[in-house]
Amino acid sequence: MTDGALPTKRERRGFRMPDEIGVITALVVMMVIIGVARPRFLNPINLFSLLGNTTFLGMLALGMVFLLAIREIDLSVGWMFNFSAVFAAILMVAGVNPWAAAFAGVLFGAGLGFVNGMLVVGLRLPAVIVTLGTYSMWQGLSLVANQGRAIVPSDTTSSYFSVIPTKLFGVLPVAALVFVVLAIVMHFVLHRTRFGYRVQAVGSNPEAAKYAGIPTGLVRLQTLVMMGALCGLSGVMYVGFRGAIDPQEGSDFVLVVIAAVIIGGTPLSGGHGTIIGAVVGMMIIQVISSGLIFFGIDATWSTFVTGAVIVLAVSLDQLIKYNRARRQMGAG
Amino acid sequence: MPAAPLICVEHLTKRYGGVVALADMNLTVERGTIHAVVGENGAGKSTLMKALAGAVRPDGGEIRIEGEAVILDTPNAARRRGIGIVYQELSLFPERSVLANLFVNREPTRHGLISLRRMEDDSRAMLAELGLDVDLRAPLSRLSIGERQLVELCRVLLEEPRLIILDEPNSALNRRETERLFAVLERLRKRGATMLYVSHRLEEVFAITDRVTITRNGRDVLTRRTAELTIPEVIEGMIGRPQEALFPQPPPVRAGMKTRSIEVRNLTGGRLADVSFEAHSGEIVGLAGLEGSGVTDLMEILFGIRHAHSGSVTFPDGKGLPGNPTQAARRGICLVPADRRRNGLMLEKSIFFNIANVAIGARDDAPLWFLPNRAIERARRQIDALRIKAGSARVVAQELSGGNQQKVVIGKWLEIGPDVFLLDDPTRGVDVGAKREIYGLIRRMSADGGVVLFSSTELPELIGLCDRILIVYQGRLVGEVAAADVDGHTLLHFINTGEKPTSLEKAVS
Repeated sequence: MTDGALPTKRERRGFRMPDEIGVITALVVMMVIIGVARPRFLNPINLFSLLGNTTFLGMLALGMVFLLAIREIDLSVGWMFNFSAVFAAILMVAGVNPWAAAFAGVLFGAGLGFVNGMLVVGLRLPAVIVTLGTYSMWQGLSLVANQGRAIVPSDTTSSYFSVIPTKLFGVLPVAALVFVVLAIVMHFVLHRTRFGYRVQAVGSNPEAAKYAGIPTGLVRLQTLVMMGALCGLSGVMYVGFRGAIDPQEGSDFVLVVIAAVIIGGTPLSGGHGTIIGAVVGMMIIQVISSGLIFFGIDATWSTFVTGAVIVLAVSLDQLIKYNRARRQMGAG
Repeated sequence: MPAAPLICVEHLTKRYGGVVALADMNLTVERGTIHAVVGENGAGKSTLMKALAGAVRPDGGEIRIEGEAVILDTPNAARRRGIGIVYQELSLFPERSVLANLFVNREPTRHGLISLRRMEDDSRAMLAELGLDVDLRAPLSRLSIGERQLVELCRVLLEEPRLIILDEPNSALNRRETERLFAVLERLRKRGATMLYVSHRLEEVFAITDRVTITRNGRDVLTRRTAELTIPEVIEGMIGRPQEALFPQPPPVRAGMKTRSIEVRNLTGGRLADVSFEAHSGEIVGLAGLEGSGVTDLMEILFGIRHAHSGSVTFPDGKGLPGNPTQAARRGICLVPADRRRNGLMLEKSIFFNIANVAIGARDDAPLWFLPNRAIERARRQIDALRIKAGSARVVAQELSGGNQQKVVIGKWLEIGPDVFLLDDPTRGVDVGAKREIYGLIRRMSADGGVVLFSSTELPELIGLCDRILIVYQGRLVGEVAAADVDGHTLLHFINTGEKPTSLEKAVS
């Protein structure tokens, strides 16, 4: 009887709601609540600027999904972001074409990720330990490079500084567009490419992946390099957007990024991840902080509320998993 | 009227969800006997033991001790009734001292404090009897596995149980320790102790037990005096059909097949020392050895997971040892690992994801894209070919039975059509029906031109399936026998001692 019941349930999967439906609902509900109370919140300009604000952290979250999916964590993302931005900005100050400097900044970020990756693979250590060290290393080197001061490229006549902050049709920031396109690309990379498959396989069971001949070390290295490159991209776009990079910018990024990914539904236990979830998770965090402002609550509360949302999200997740497991026990 | 038997189990039933562990189990154990319970994995013998030890609450049926119906709903209730169990997996505390382990939960006290001296006094005689001469205050982790098993036995014996349940007590013991254990059991029986002995090593069952109960599919099939039975009869009872039918006839070798071979010369590494042999396609080469003898090491070296210190290997492609598993997979060398749940499967992933493991995950000629629909299509082919019982390719590996899980592991390798098959105990924890199908698959691999190395902890399987068997003892290849020339007893002796039995010498000369 069980044999007959299972397949029909499984085969009908095509009609099943996507896993991200929960967070998407949560985001919509929050926006509706704030929108009803403060209609000004739902103004397209406000909504798009919300999306624009998620861009820089959001790009980091895209890479972090891959890291959690491979059962690792990169703690150094904030400082890779900062160091790459500082590197690119210094090149710009030195007179290098800003587009070329930005490209170099992305490569530089990838290089930082490569160092992380080589340490992880070479020393056979979890990335969380290696990046706990490189977190301070990148911070320190970045401080040496910028001498504790903001780096401000003086010549901002280049198209670089006008394109990135532009708002298309007067509402959609170019940076946000880049982020959305990148998110779609990363979604397909995770679910439809050999690399994405390998990431999920290694994260699901590293031992079994090794015994199946999957090059686990190479996949880890690639993931960390990609994380670095994304940090670099985010960093150089930040320079183009703000026209400067502060020495402390990025210091508080890592926990927000991880929070967004977890709120989105990517489990810490590895094996799979959701890019859509991470983007929505990032927006939830953004909606909370800007929603609080709309309600006239002191912005300092937003950190607390974000934390509370994480606890709520993981509790709900755990509850759903528990119920699912219980149902399976009953049916199995 | 004769006294009621010590233990009488009637119509015991137990279900786990939809899985029936005990359908209708009956068991009568007479005082002063060693009573064996045998059966395939999943026959219900472990559940029965756990029910007697109070670790599992049965759904129905009755347990009577000396004629009195009892409810054993907790381990302590069973303890109070005089039932002691020596578990297969050690249930000791490695960081605590030997003494502390011997008196877990019932430490003798003096003036309200735990008295180590009283512990020593109380346990001395029993330890001497078991021949266990170790530092009692040292942490248990310093002891060998065999010594720990004896500590576990000693702990149970110190409670002076009326019934001692031994659940594969010697699975971790070497030959000398096993002999010592059997001597102890023999002495205990002479003193009137009653024991239930669970094992899948039938030779041992025949060596020390008085009566045997055969279980199958949660029922007791047969209970007899051991002396009235033979090993083939017991096996037939366990699997429900004659043993020969379990091993399919070799399929005809494909015409025009290219013969491949693998040549191992003086291989040293891991536990292995100076191992040399050859294996060819068309034959199934068995590897027999005790746990830790080096069989697994050999497979892992050939697969590139472990590195060799010295020696050379030539694979069918003319090259040497692979440097890592990825190279192995790309060169058509496959390993089905012994620990399927840990090393073989991504349990929370679907069948199609697992089957794509090698074809997409390992090969460098794989397409850069992973298209789920194509992967599902390919998985369906394997599901049909290997007769994996699953509703669809999207079913999660975790939900499959052991046999079907193993078929998924085999299926992911068949996807790439390997030349060399390293099969490390592939039928462990697999039910009889699936075993038979897996034997068929292995025969097919060999007939299709693959070089097959096959190891197993079950000797009848090695004898029934393989053409010849290489015996590995303490890291050395100590001999080779033709499967047709040996019986289980001789082979058991060979792998336990590393010495070629004299009966075989005669057969050869």
